[in-house]
Amino acid sequence: MFVLAESNALYVGDQIFYLVSFIILALLVWHFAWKPVTDMMQKRADKIANDIDTAEESRQLAEKLAAQRQEELNGSKAEAAQIVEEAKKSGESQRAQIVATAQADAQTMKEQARQDAEQARENALRGAKDDVANLSIEIATKLVQKQLNAEDQQALIDSYIEGLVKHES
Amino acid sequence: MGGDAYTFELFGLTFNWTNLISGTIICLFVFFLCYGLSRNLQMKPTKGQNLIEWLVDFTNGITRSQMSAGESAKYSYFIFILFIFLFVSNQFGLIFHFGWNGHEYFKSPTADPVITLTFSLLCVTLSHFAGMAQHGMKGYLKEFVSPFTLFLPIKIVEEFSNFLTLGLRIFGNIYAGELLLGLIGQVAFSHGIWTLPIGLALEIVWQGFSVFIGAIQAYVFVTLTSVIFLGR
Repeated sequence: MFVLAESNALYVGDQIFYLVSFIILALLVWHFAWKPVTDMMQKRADKIANDIDTAEESRQLAEKLAAQRQEELNGSKAEAAQIVEEAKKSGESQRAQIVATAQADAQTMKEQARQDAEQARENALRGAKDDVANLSIEIATKLVQKQLNAEDQQALIDSYIEGLVKHES
Repeated sequence: MGGDAYTFELFGLTFNWTNLISGTIICLFVFFLCYGLSRNLQMKPTKGQNLIEWLVDFTNGITRSQMSAGESAKYSYFIFILFIFLFVSNQFGLIFHFGWNGHEYFKSPTADPVITLTFSLLCVTLSHFAGMAQHGMKGYLKEFVSPFTLFLPIKIVEEFSNFLTLGLRIFGNIYAGELLLGLIGQVAFSHGIWTLPIGLALEIVWQGFSVFIGAIQAYVFVTLTSVIFLGR
């Protein structure tokens, strides 16, 4: 062959030697270097992809938690306002109730006092009336005993009692 | 570039000592390089692991830029080991070039067309198998007459040109690099002490450029290999 400038023969033996040694080299390097290295590279690629996914997941989780916390915070604010409102309302109502009770008590007591006074007045009046009647009868008896007869006396007493009744009413 | 090839015969096959020694040393070097870099693998990579992972990413990038992710995963290892082997082969000849008694014992195997054509033949043959595995026998054969039957001779010629250009491109570059290194070396010693500094400076420049060429050629070789795989 004209291309074999340096070599003066076609070394078929060399070709076979290189072919065989290249194949052996390829097999050895495959087993000892290529496979572990590419496995490790694949593992790393998987890990990175996995990490990206995990990061995305944890980011979403954190966002969700933050939103939840914000919501809870808002809820607790509203709740606090509601509690204050309720306390105010219940205080108000309690106050109103106390005032009403006090007023009712005072009213009752006033009424009782008034009734008592009325009763006392009535009793006193009744007693006085009886006394006055008895006294006036006694006086009248003593006065008229001498001047009047029985008939006139009776008329006088009747008129007097009538006057008493009228007075009383 | 010392003299005749240092050959011997075994089982009716011709062997070249230079290539056998160089190939063995490079295979051992590549193996221990990969083995050493892939020890103590961790989730968080450290020194050596970073380097080999960068290499893996780099060669994966070559295939992934040509094919879909699922398809490239099938070829990415072949591209990886091919790239490392060729890169180390290209660079080793620049650093160590050992000859004795008119025989070379160690040089870049990629400076020998027999070796580069072996690798290009390997790639082209594998690509044929890949085509058969992917499209089935019928789909694979149909590729030769698409878009129409007139393309059949062109496609057949293309197979041979793929094989030849792939192998000869890397051979030409690396061989020329080593040849010129040798010539500059001869210039350096041609007129005694006066040409030494000039020769040394030229040698340094050319060696730096050859490192660059070696890297580029390894890259081009695997890129074109993945293109051939894609063509199936």
